[in-house]
Amino acid sequence: MVLLYLLEKEFKQFFRDPGLPKMAIAFPVLMMLVFPFAVSMEIRNINLVVVDSNRSVASSKLIETCTASGYFNLVAVSDDPDWAMQQMDKNRADAILTIESDFDRCLERGEALPVGIKVNTINGTKGSIGAGYLTSCIQRYRAEASPASTASPTAGPQLDVSAKYYFNTYLDYKKFMVPALIVIAITMLTGFFPALNIVSEKERGTIEQINVTPVNRGVFILCKLIPYWLVAFFVLTACLLIARWVFDYSCAGSVGLMYFFTAGNILVTAGMGLLISNYSENAQQAMFVTWFFMMVFMLVSGIFTPIASMPDWAQAITYLNPMRYYADAMRGVYIKGSTLADVWSDAAGLLTIGTVMVAWVILSYKKTT
Amino acid sequence: MGAIEVENVSKRYGNCQALEQVSLDIQAGEIYGLIGPDGAGKTTLFRILVTLLLPDNGSARVEGLDVVKDFMAIRRHIGYMPGRFSLYQDLTVAENLDFFATMFGTTITENYENIREIYSQIEPFRDRRAGKLSGGMKQKLALCCALVHRPSVLFLDEPTTGVDAVSRKDFWNMLYRIRESGVTILVSTPYMDEASLCDRISLIQKGHLIETGTPAAIVAQYPHRLFGVSGKPAYPLLKFLRRCPDLLRCFSFGSEHHVAVEPGTISPEQLQARIQAEGFSDVVVREIEPNIEDCFMELAKEERQES
Repeated sequence: MVLLYLLEKEFKQFFRDPGLPKMAIAFPVLMMLVFPFAVSMEIRNINLVVVDSNRSVASSKLIETCTASGYFNLVAVSDDPDWAMQQMDKNRADAILTIESDFDRCLERGEALPVGIKVNTINGTKGSIGAGYLTSCIQRYRAEASPASTASPTAGPQLDVSAKYYFNTYLDYKKFMVPALIVIAITMLTGFFPALNIVSEKERGTIEQINVTPVNRGVFILCKLIPYWLVAFFVLTACLLIARWVFDYSCAGSVGLMYFFTAGNILVTAGMGLLISNYSENAQQAMFVTWFFMMVFMLVSGIFTPIASMPDWAQAITYLNPMRYYADAMRGVYIKGSTLADVWSDAAGLLTIGTVMVAWVILSYKKTT
Repeated sequence: MGAIEVENVSKRYGNCQALEQVSLDIQAGEIYGLIGPDGAGKTTLFRILVTLLLPDNGSARVEGLDVVKDFMAIRRHIGYMPGRFSLYQDLTVAENLDFFATMFGTTITENYENIREIYSQIEPFRDRRAGKLSGGMKQKLALCCALVHRPSVLFLDEPTTGVDAVSRKDFWNMLYRIRESGVTILVSTPYMDEASLCDRISLIQKGHLIETGTPAAIVAQYPHRLFGVSGKPAYPLLKFLRRCPDLLRCFSFGSEHHVAVEPGTISPEQLQARIQAEGFSDVVVREIEPNIEDCFMELAKEERQES
């Protein structure tokens, strides 16, 4: 009875707040409609300068192969390497392809091609991916231009490797990011809202009024958790529908499992938010501390960079990061169609952290100090 | 058995001794005033008694229940109105009242009689959000919320701070009517003039209780004769009076200066003659009855000298 009334009060306050309901709607929409394009790691429009000292049919064919790939934006073809370097210094070129003067002869003789690649790695991703694209363009060109050379005895046995991308056939970065963005949206909303909620009760002094009533602290904490649970389910539903309608993606696995993991994640993030608010005196403190943890969680969650490529100590830290489990499970379920049996370790990790968190919240929320 | 019993309660925040060996005994059904300036420790004592704060030493009981051990039971018996308005500003008048009634496991209708008199004054605004009420109405709403579960002890921490004179008078009339229903009221105030409205009072300063008794008894204990002195110009007059070695104390009180003298040393006429001789105009010196503020200044001075 008291719990129901407390909940009713929370909802009244939520809907009367000038910002919160709008944010709960705007956030998923923005996340799903803007960010899949914005945070894409697909590299396009690499500005390419070619230093062509050969100026042969063969060399111009190579340039054509590169530009036809669609990744490059041919800025200029010059025969002055220094001028090309200046272009890179002035940030007009991301990559320089140097074709030496004996290019066509080497091609005919089936020798190694005298081609150089320089990339600007101020943006590391763009640089390394650009170099990769260039290399593959040159290889493709060589394979097409001199099929005879592949058969020559000097080249040795050839391997014909073709990659097949499972679960995301076209290596569509947007599809890769959709579940990750859901993870971010839900973690942010459920991390910040409850923290700010309790702190605002502190700032306004209303928590004192609640504290002199005989209300049980567990009930009080629960009434702060449940509304954000529902908000998060709403956000998840909205995100899934937008992904469906706008991008035509659907969840490969069980949608119910996604809700299950979301529920577990809220236990953790909302618990963490409440915990921070228990120790904070005002909204700024709570906001800043929450923001700090969110940043750390996000960066070492595997959402943007694979956990496997982190150093061992960083990998060890990720085991304490609830977002790691949540993001891993959500991606697995959404893209690959993982079942609970596949991602049980994520579930266990999430629920363990969640249980510890909520227990800590209830213990640290002192009605008498 | 008293409604509130406090024995040697001390509380310290870091280096600041907020309460030191405070003892109180408040009878059921009385309006008890805790009078003292800001920072004297009034709110700390309130927070200990309403179970929001643990004392460092000493013990306290409300309605015979220990504030530390039986804190849950105490909460059903007390109503607390903090100094700062702390109801939900984004809920309406009726929702706030309903909310606190539910938190105590009761309803407005069940206890309507208890709050009818006060609530009827704000009922026309029942659908207005609490944050949009005027100061006086907020105070009435807070009082309703503190009374809605029929508490037997009411704690009012500086209820009249920042409230206009008419509303203050109204408020005290409400308190008298609440007392008639048998409720014990502990009220704190920094306004000395409200002290005489209480049945009994304690004067508190820097965490010590410096005097306890009925307002009349405290005034009767005043050891000196008190003159009200007025004259022009007022400030040089005050400085002059403070220079006179045979006058004990002198401070300005509204348009007058209150001058304490040892009985038998100087008469009002003699003092008047002396002041006029100094060239002040419109000089009036009259014998006056001390009030609580005079007593407080006297006692606070003694306290300072002792420590």
